[in-house]
Amino acid sequence: MFKPWGEKDMMLGIDVGGTHTDAVCIDNGSIISTVKRLTHTQDLVSSIVDAVEGLDVDVERVERVVLSTTLATNSIVEDRLGPTGMIVSGGPGIDPREYFLDENFYLVKGAIDHRGRQYQELAEKDVIDVGRRLKARSIEGIGIVSKFSVRNPLHENRIHSILTEDFRYTSMGHQMSGSLNFPRRIFTTYFNTAVMPVQHRFLESVGMALRDMGIYTDMLILKADGGTITYNSAFNLPVETILSGPAASIMGAVALTGERGTALVLDIGGTTTDMGVLAGGVPLMQPRGVDIGGKKTLVRGLELLSLGVAGDSRVILEDGNVRIGPTRVGPPACLGGELPTPTDALSVVGLFDEGEKERARKALSDMSREMNKSVEDVARLVIKTFCHELKDAAIRFINELNSRPVYTIHDMIYPEVIRPEGIIVVGGPAGSLCSLLEDTFGIPCKVPRYYEVANAVGACLARTTVRITLLADTYLGKLLCPEMDIEEDIPGNYSPDDVKAFGMERLDELYEYLGMKDRPETDVVEEQSFNMVRGFRTVGKNIRMRLQTRPGVLPLSEM
Amino acid sequence: MKATNSTGLIFFPAYDWEISPTHPERQERLLYTQDQIMEEGLLDIEGIHEFKAGFATEHDIQRVHFCIPDVASRITPSHNISAGGCIEAARHVLDGDVDKAFALVRPPGHHSMRVVHGARGFCNINIEAIMVEWIRFNYPHVKKIAIVDTDCHHGDGSQDIYWHDPNVLYISLHQDGRTLYPGSGFPDEFGGPNALGMTVNVPLPPRTSDKGYLSVIENLVLPILDEFKPDLVINSAGQDNHYSDPITDMAFTAGGYARLNEMLSPDICVLEGGYSIEAALPYVNTGIILALAGLDYSYVQEPDLDIKSIREEQRILDYIYRLTDGIFENWHKRNELRSEYYAKKEYFQRNKSIYYDTDGISESQVEVVRVCDRCPGVFKIDSQASTGYRILGIHIPRGACQECKHKGLEWFSEASGPYYGVYLQDMDADEYQVRLL
Repeated sequence: MFKPWGEKDMMLGIDVGGTHTDAVCIDNGSIISTVKRLTHTQDLVSSIVDAVEGLDVDVERVERVVLSTTLATNSIVEDRLGPTGMIVSGGPGIDPREYFLDENFYLVKGAIDHRGRQYQELAEKDVIDVGRRLKARSIEGIGIVSKFSVRNPLHENRIHSILTEDFRYTSMGHQMSGSLNFPRRIFTTYFNTAVMPVQHRFLESVGMALRDMGIYTDMLILKADGGTITYNSAFNLPVETILSGPAASIMGAVALTGERGTALVLDIGGTTTDMGVLAGGVPLMQPRGVDIGGKKTLVRGLELLSLGVAGDSRVILEDGNVRIGPTRVGPPACLGGELPTPTDALSVVGLFDEGEKERARKALSDMSREMNKSVEDVARLVIKTFCHELKDAAIRFINELNSRPVYTIHDMIYPEVIRPEGIIVVGGPAGSLCSLLEDTFGIPCKVPRYYEVANAVGACLARTTVRITLLADTYLGKLLCPEMDIEEDIPGNYSPDDVKAFGMERLDELYEYLGMKDRPETDVVEEQSFNMVRGFRTVGKNIRMRLQTRPGVLPLSEM
Repeated sequence: MKATNSTGLIFFPAYDWEISPTHPERQERLLYTQDQIMEEGLLDIEGIHEFKAGFATEHDIQRVHFCIPDVASRITPSHNISAGGCIEAARHVLDGDVDKAFALVRPPGHHSMRVVHGARGFCNINIEAIMVEWIRFNYPHVKKIAIVDTDCHHGDGSQDIYWHDPNVLYISLHQDGRTLYPGSGFPDEFGGPNALGMTVNVPLPPRTSDKGYLSVIENLVLPILDEFKPDLVINSAGQDNHYSDPITDMAFTAGGYARLNEMLSPDICVLEGGYSIEAALPYVNTGIILALAGLDYSYVQEPDLDIKSIREEQRILDYIYRLTDGIFENWHKRNELRSEYYAKKEYFQRNKSIYYDTDGISESQVEVVRVCDRCPGVFKIDSQASTGYRILGIHIPRGACQECKHKGLEWFSEASGPYYGVYLQDMDADEYQVRLL
């Protein structure tokens, strides 16, 4: 079978979650050691060190270390971002000041239209002035965004070249993503710059800690899309590393089952159950970008539904009906908590062995009295409700995916309908729920071995992913790839095939540069070509293409 | 930012459909509009929702049209989806999912008349009328509907379909027919004998700009709507009044369109024409969506706008004011005019010549309507086209009285002669039949 890594190479995957830090060591395609530790929320580096030390690792043989962390996510969600300057040029449309978060956001004159033509020059004097003001406030990082910069990064590049000397951290909108969406570009660029200082310190510390343990290989970081980026890319694009936790679990489910069909993945945790969907074994992506800290971004992420129905969710009786979630009540009663949870229900019926069953029975006894049912019956009812809630949510989720708008007659007539043929369950309570979920959903349910550390397995085996956007406007004679900062002159007869070939070459160069040993599969995820007609005459072609490395995992030898 | 009115958007640019590669109705038409909508992040605004288009069924189309020889030969899937997109927009509004909706779909429809031998003015079937009839059948509490057609071309198809219908008010603001296709839409086209005043035409002089348009809305359209009291208002939101449109000669702006929609506050907007695909549509549509949602659109503006150079001269405004006053006066006299012209007649006949410019077909029609005081009145259309088809179409309207209904069925069963077939629309029964002869 195909082996991308040498026989002697050892791989480590570490997922630092809010509650637990999980780690695995994979040797020669086999999982040889796993560990689950509580996360020290105040010191993530020591959490990582603890987890790695708990593994059975031959440090000299470690070839690959992949890290998934909540660092960037938490800095944003908990609003622990330092002051960051934003310089935005807009032009007509919605007033860009609608998106300004604080006094460090500045609007400067300058406008570019939807085809990338400048129609108002950048007010360079204003840029210099804004730079001075931000500098006077001791601000170290700036984000630079202009409307339609992915059609022409002229103004962003110009602002950058004016101010780059004065600021330690800079990000430009067109490098975040090739997608259109000015408000999302503003927030994405803002978050990217704002998390840079903390991310840089963190990555440097982790690198040092690993070297102290004798691990010298370059670290990779997991992204929200279930792919990895290099240590260096994570320096420049830290925002890509947000929300990698759920992606880790879903990639883990793929790795542990070798699934190639259409399946629903459930990662049942303590606080939430995350649902993802695999189509042909490949996880589905969100079309526009992930939400974080109440803001919408352009960060590519897996299509996920996060549900407050999980192991530690609150269980109450409301008008005679059992209700679960959406809040968490702390640990389950059987594990030292006070209030009943789904985990306690599992404990009562003998599907969960840890902790004290008596405490679980006691927690459910109030409901038992009120409903005039035995504690066992109440527990069964809670578990049934739990499974049904998950099923109802899954149906809504899948229906929503299937009712997404499409823009061609072909896609209307031949829709790609998602119909899961199976379920993969990972996460803490997965093992005990398999047959119950199978009965509720009416489709086969798999709980893979190592399900409780699927996240770390997913991180460990996730492949590097890259996506680039290519825009060719043969009327203007320009080809643009915003993410790679490429702008090329092209001849009038440039075709979609030429665009694709150009993109593939650039990706090959990138894979080479990243030192990727196996050439990943690249998909054309979007392709459009339009004849541009002006005055009843065809004057050129407008070609739009997106190339993306197919998200996937390195194979395990047991699969 | 949060929409004051929750607003649904059905976006169906039909990126794989064109009349011909260099035709204004080509694949590229809504490309830059989509770019602008995406870049503005309109779909991320709280209260703005995008919904998938749907398919109009053959039955939905038969509620409106006599397609000759049949529905399947007159349309392509693009037309099913364009009409289906309108239906979805209406469904989401009437089910209360959203307050308002905009069907940003193509191909357009407002030049399609009741009888369809082919395509006219880029239209095969009338997507608004199909939506309106779908609404009336599925949501019977919606009795009175107003269509305000702001496309630059007179919506002669919509006018034809609702000519005899007292419950659908059709108001069209368009460039004067003496200067533009289809050459109709004069103030004396005022509705059939049973629906006089329910068709209102406002032919505006070339170079009319924001002030002129908005004055008609304020001084004519809104007062008429106030009196008509529709249950639902639809804007046929053609965008070819724009100063940059290549095939018309008006001077409306994106800001003007937005203001128009703010004033009119329609429940549903449907895109019709509009062929300035780079300079107008991206900005006009952004303006309309923001205005529908009740959001600030004051920063939406074309990059090349020079408002002074397109402002209308005073004499144009004076002409418009006089025109509007005259139309409003007539509207108030509609009942007197009806008694004057039609009171003593049992039947009324009109003869029409129709040209299908897109397909190069000529048609002549003889239409006979029963003048009725109790219902919208049954009518029949004898239609002969240069394709060789001659048919008789009979329409028994919604809420038809016994006599009219009886008459219609009699016409249907007794028709004979040189017809390919006799077509029947029995609206209350929701039955559409063809008897081939």
